[in-house]
Amino acid sequence: MTDALVSVERLTKRYGTARGVVDLSFDVRPGEVFGFLGPNGAGKTTTIRLLLDLIRPTTGRVVAFGRDVRRSSREVRARTGYLSGDLRLYERLTPREHLRYLASLRGLPHLGDGEAIAERLELELDRPVRALSKGNRQKVGILLALFHRPELLVLDEPTSGLDPLMQQAFYALLRERVAAGGTIFLSSHVLAEVQHVADRVAAIREGRLELVDTVEALRSRAFTRVAATFRAAPPEHAFDGLPGIRELERRNGTVLLALSGPADPLVKALATYEVLTLDSHEADLEDVFLDLYREGGDAD
Amino acid sequence: MLTSVAVKTLRDLRRGFLWWSLGLAGMVALMVAVYPTVRDNPALNRFVEQYPDTLKAFIGFGGAVDYTSAAGYLGSELFSFMVPLLLLLAAIGAGARAVAGEEEAGTLELLLSCPVSRRRLVLEKLAALAVETTALGVVLVVSLWIGARAVSMDVSLAHLAAATTSAVLLALAYGAIALLVGAATGRRALTIAVAAALAVAAFLVASLAPLVGALDIVKEASPFYHYSASDPLRHGLAAIHALPLLALAAVAGLLAPFALERRDVGVG
Repeated sequence: MTDALVSVERLTKRYGTARGVVDLSFDVRPGEVFGFLGPNGAGKTTTIRLLLDLIRPTTGRVVAFGRDVRRSSREVRARTGYLSGDLRLYERLTPREHLRYLASLRGLPHLGDGEAIAERLELELDRPVRALSKGNRQKVGILLALFHRPELLVLDEPTSGLDPLMQQAFYALLRERVAAGGTIFLSSHVLAEVQHVADRVAAIREGRLELVDTVEALRSRAFTRVAATFRAAPPEHAFDGLPGIRELERRNGTVLLALSGPADPLVKALATYEVLTLDSHEADLEDVFLDLYREGGDAD
Repeated sequence: MLTSVAVKTLRDLRRGFLWWSLGLAGMVALMVAVYPTVRDNPALNRFVEQYPDTLKAFIGFGGAVDYTSAAGYLGSELFSFMVPLLLLLAAIGAGARAVAGEEEAGTLELLLSCPVSRRRLVLEKLAALAVETTALGVVLVVSLWIGARAVSMDVSLAHLAAATTSAVLLALAYGAIALLVGAATGRRALTIAVAAALAVAAFLVASLAPLVGALDIVKEASPFYHYSASDPLRHGLAAIHALPLLALAAVAGLLAPFALERRDVGVG
């Protein structure tokens, strides 16, 4: 796709014999918020570090702003804001000194949006970093990623350590960045964290890409979870082959089913047995997501 | 002001620089204060002459061991061991912190997320290392000159500066080696160990060369040999011995950017 802002092309990174990421390909489109999901250790950080040219691919490449990030490393970094998942700061410097230092390294004569962002995040700029809590350090990281108004933001687990109120302030900053024409690449190990801001998500597991889809499409895959408890457990496979019904789990006399589409076939099938309790609720996106993972796991 | 990697690095070295300066000046003051007693005691020279050759090899600096002359005394007491020891410790420490230290602290990633090329970053670190080592040399030569004047030592400022320059070049060479190893490996402790081991080996080769025939052939390869070979406290600095030190510093320093350029940063 030529209109991609970031194009990950058959990217593989091996560390010695250990797996990093394997044959990843996906695009990030200009102006979108792209959620990059996966459990810890799945290869999210490896992918992000490849994107920033901190580490080099074994094969494949990343193209950003139409340029190979390896060959045009400086230009890509000039247009990108980055928050590391393992943020480390200079303990003796204050956030303001960090801002000044990074501003000069970026060739900026001023602190950009630094002070305004600090105010929004309620971050004190003049206390040395060593005196700051984990949450406040994370705010410094966010500040350093955003202050120079980057066209592309690459954020690795950005909300870790932030309280819910600050997370909201942070998401508001992201939305403003997008409104101003920015593009955001956001990693997380939980879907719930990104589903409200992301347009599309990719999921990675054990170094391989599992899916890339819009949040809308994922939502449409949502199902209703039905838990039925029976006096005597129905035989195995009793609910197999019914339209829109999938058995998820079975524990003692309780069977957990996933229902999508009309409820009628399920009601008829349940009526065959003696039902003690019946409980149903709409699955949230997290369930859909975990379910997709489970399917992927079965396929291995 | 934090305007560049070099300035930031020098700022970080400030505190250490103060302590190294106090150490150097204190050591010089102590040794110089003792000199009048030694000068007025010719028996000491006769005593030193009876030292085993091995020991004399280690306490000599360029020319013959001679405690009663100012040049001989300063050479044996300061320049044969303590001065290079302190300057090398400072330079190897700074060289190892430059890239490996910053990488282990995790802040290298912060710098490399900015549009700064890796080569530029390492060269700025090299510049900071050169400035710090030279500044320590200035502290040393000023201390020496003040001390020498105070006890009326018969040694010229030019010769003190020559010996100090030789020591600074030696320290710079090992500092640059530490920068190179640190840029290649990203591991600070390993870097210090490698640079220190190379220095000890070179020191032994240079010191024992006069006694061991086999070593005499390879002594030219030892930076410590070139450090003292001009006998700078008596004859000044000879280009033929200063240039190899400068060349070693330059080669190691200019290879360092390429060592960092090629590898993954912040892994393991």
